[in-house]
Amino acid sequence: MKGKKWMAYLISFLPLISIVWAPSSSWAGKAPYKIGVNLELTGPWAEVTKTVKRAMVMEMERINAMGGVDGHPLELVIEDNGFDLVRAAANMTKFARDKEIIVVVGPFEDNLQATTRAIAEREEITNIIICPSNPMLRALKQRWSWNIAHNDIVVSQKLVDLCSARGYRKVLVFHAAHPLAQSLAEYFKQFGEEKGIKVIVSKETHKPTDIDMTPQLIKLKPIMEREKVDAFYACTSGPPGPIVCKNMRTLGIKIPIIATHAFGFHFIIDLGGEAMEGVEFGAGKTVVPYQLDENDPLRPIVIDFDKRMMTHYRTGADQISGLAHDTVWLLSDALRRCRAKVTRVNLRDALENTKGFKGCMGIYTYSPTDHDGLTKSDLVFIRIEGGKFKRIKFPGYE
Amino acid sequence: MTPWAHIPQLAFSGITMGAIYALVGLGFVTIARASQIINFAQGEFVMLGGMITFFLLKGVGLPYPLAALLAVLLVVIIGFLVHIMVVYPLRKASVPILLIATLGASIFISNTTALVFGTLPKALPAFWGNQPLQIRGIFVTPQSLFVLGATFLLLISLYLLSHRTVTGKAMEASSTDPLGADLSGISRNLMAFLAFGVSAGMGAIAGIFITPIFYTSYHAGTLVGLKGFIAAVLGGWGKNSGAILGGLVLGTVESLSVAFIPSGYKDAVAFVILLLILNFRPKGILGSPFIDSRRW
Amino acid sequence: MLPLWLLSLILPDPHLDLRQEARFRKRDLFYSGALFLLPLVCSSPRLHYVMVLAGINAILALGLSLFLGYTGQISLGHAAFFGTGAYTTAILTTRWGSPPLAAFWASAAVAAALAYLVGRSILKLKGYFLALATLGFGEIFLVVVREAHALTGGVIGIFGIPLFSVAGFSFDTYLKQYYLIWGVLVGLILFSKNLIRSKIGRAFLAVAASEDAASTVGIEVAHIKLGAFVVGAAFAGFAGSLFACIMSTANPEAFGLNLSVLVIMMVILGGIGNLYGPIAAAIFLTWLLDILGAYQEYSMPIYALILILLLITFPDGIGTRLNIRLIYLISYWGRRKRRERVDL
Repeated sequence: MKGKKWMAYLISFLPLISIVWAPSSSWAGKAPYKIGVNLELTGPWAEVTKTVKRAMVMEMERINAMGGVDGHPLELVIEDNGFDLVRAAANMTKFARDKEIIVVVGPFEDNLQATTRAIAEREEITNIIICPSNPMLRALKQRWSWNIAHNDIVVSQKLVDLCSARGYRKVLVFHAAHPLAQSLAEYFKQFGEEKGIKVIVSKETHKPTDIDMTPQLIKLKPIMEREKVDAFYACTSGPPGPIVCKNMRTLGIKIPIIATHAFGFHFIIDLGGEAMEGVEFGAGKTVVPYQLDENDPLRPIVIDFDKRMMTHYRTGADQISGLAHDTVWLLSDALRRCRAKVTRVNLRDALENTKGFKGCMGIYTYSPTDHDGLTKSDLVFIRIEGGKFKRIKFPGYE
Repeated sequence: MTPWAHIPQLAFSGITMGAIYALVGLGFVTIARASQIINFAQGEFVMLGGMITFFLLKGVGLPYPLAALLAVLLVVIIGFLVHIMVVYPLRKASVPILLIATLGASIFISNTTALVFGTLPKALPAFWGNQPLQIRGIFVTPQSLFVLGATFLLLISLYLLSHRTVTGKAMEASSTDPLGADLSGISRNLMAFLAFGVSAGMGAIAGIFITPIFYTSYHAGTLVGLKGFIAAVLGGWGKNSGAILGGLVLGTVESLSVAFIPSGYKDAVAFVILLLILNFRPKGILGSPFIDSRRW
Repeated sequence: MLPLWLLSLILPDPHLDLRQEARFRKRDLFYSGALFLLPLVCSSPRLHYVMVLAGINAILALGLSLFLGYTGQISLGHAAFFGTGAYTTAILTTRWGSPPLAAFWASAAVAAALAYLVGRSILKLKGYFLALATLGFGEIFLVVVREAHALTGGVIGIFGIPLFSVAGFSFDTYLKQYYLIWGVLVGLILFSKNLIRSKIGRAFLAVAASEDAASTVGIEVAHIKLGAFVVGAAFAGFAGSLFACIMSTANPEAFGLNLSVLVIMMVILGGIGNLYGPIAAAIFLTWLLDILGAYQEYSMPIYALILILLLITFPDGIGTRLNIRLIYLISYWGRRKRRERVDL
């Protein structure tokens, strides 16, 4: 009994210590522009989201070193939502109620978008989400939400181009059971059939947390053989991607595999190993910075970003950090266009007026009807060869 | 194509997964027999086996067998630590408290793993090679054969441990008749301590063997642990053979069910089986020596 | 801004006797008054929001404590009833245009009905097996919700749930929601107290004391346990309905095992067989999670560590002893100082 008293003391005062220790920031000079960041820093995607945080911090420091935006420094207020709906909403509300915060970046995950977007509309604060939008959300026509990512339409268009270039006439789509993957599959089917490609969307799906898709593939194998499909579209993101490829090879299925842009990460190759050889997809330019065309206007931006990521963090640029980089620069560009009057409303309007802004991941043009801003020419074709990403080109399809 | 044609292939992958459930279930049973506690952190030991091996292999650069051996040792130590820090202080507490405490330990282990090793999943290279063999139309990877072999060997070692060594016999005695064991001078706390180490080791070995087929990540332990527990209950709670049988049955049924129902429901199958068994035959397939005793 | 958890710990309630607790005492007025005045005294929106969440957790904890406290059995699937309530409200208000108040009662009814069906077969089990069975039920619920796209919107969930409103008065600010939720909680506490003082309540207490003795007196133990289970589920249904209106989305990820464990933690920390203990624990844990959010990656391991430490230090719950310990601890320093001088 005696020994437990100190424990009681400790536990009771632990939270108190945290309040005393809360980080504070100060900046002499002009008032900083505060950007709220609501990210999944813990949870299944933490490692990927960490690159968002790192890239944003790096770019923010760079902009501040160059004098900030018209002399105002940028400041990031970062909160973790732990991939939890409640906390994401709490953070969003907290940011929205804080008068000094003019925009919120995040979340990164699809599931949490809907809630924060609703709060953004209600509270009238710009919400930039580093995740593709989906048809249901776009139908809501929310004025205050932006998605900085290559969306489902663009990715599907690029893949259809890939199939046309390779001459695939029949493709089987195996997608994950979440809205982005579903939407990708549907758009692929729609665009593919416009170009005369027969698309079979499998009724079998898999969950993003599945570690083995052999049962589903066993069911699909006879269908693939009977229909004589030319290619298999692994319409998923995250670990299930390489797992599906591994399972396919384990079952002796040898047809070519095409995939979504979510395959453009190094951990995918690490997870899949040999099974990833020959997989092709379209992805952002940061995956292959040195293989871009010499006359590509984005090439210098991408290579510069990649170099700085290497010096700062010892890892190169990837698609997610590229999007984070673009977020910060888009915001600073919009802030600059607000001139002196930076309010939440002006920032939103300025952002919506962005035309032809060059970032790592593409050239952004927004309008009242388009808050996604990218097109299929912002993607490049990539093939996995020798355990590395190799850019491939098809004349007439860039 | 009729679902029936898929059966052999599905059955084989089901047996492979079932072997893992069996090993996890054995881990539960070992601890429960020695100490009447259910260790909800069991699945984490499996996950840690694969995770630590990956780290030693890729991060530190040790050769594969050495990395695996060292990982098993480390997980055994972690098992001991869980006993000392969580279970032993609460040895007199009631069932709900112990349950939540081991759950808390499980949350702690999985989240600390995320902190230390990162949240991305990790894969280990296969032991022998990637090319599947074809046996009578079924594709069989060498790794699955290793998994089955490991399960068999572990079962034998467990049998030898409990029936041929003094320590093992003491653990058996402690579980069959706690009062008698106490009177004979066997320390129940020590037996529980050792049981934690043994189950942790078994879990780690299971993890290392199964990771090359799938992959491991910080949250993989929870579900595997649950299904292992279900397997042990299914086969007959409290018996080693029950855990093995339960695991194989669970794995096979789960895998075969995919042929007949939409694959999204696969995870629910294990829990539906659980509810059915608890409702109609709580003793499990082989019967259980524990169900009627006071503690349960 | 004073951290509320400190306040919540000072509970003069050393009694474990539910019968005494169930009477209406001056202390109840004190608590109600404090709760009523709190948001007026401290107008930080963060406080309002966290207390709103704490209120929902408190309703959950109260409901579960009726079950756990009377039967001593663990249910690890409580989040499923919470989710049932949330989805019921979501479907009724978005698809069938029902007024939120009607959906509120309907949610509790549906959750209770589900609990009745499930409890009839599960409650025969005891101890770990009941825990496992309820866990299994919780997981099955999640899987079904994720798969049944047409009904529940699958993995996306349902969004666009309107805010809670009664006869045109809409609870749109967090301040109003605070009063709504804590008002509901006060109502539920009144209900619980009445329940305990009634004939059924006495039967509950008898079962809690000893199942065997209760059955010899002619009490249908199985019915009592089922009743407690159903009541707990109904409370969770109420909480779920309020949650759906506040979040305006219903998503399966919010109703998983983590939430069930959290609710159990609140009940155990609060003290099994206590009415106010779990509520205080709910406030404490909600605040703890909010504060820990600042630590990002370290938040979950620290949370788990604190849980384990709390369990080891207070196996009987906070509401019953910590107050006494704190007072003892604080007075310990004073007494030690005096003793030193005397010894010399």
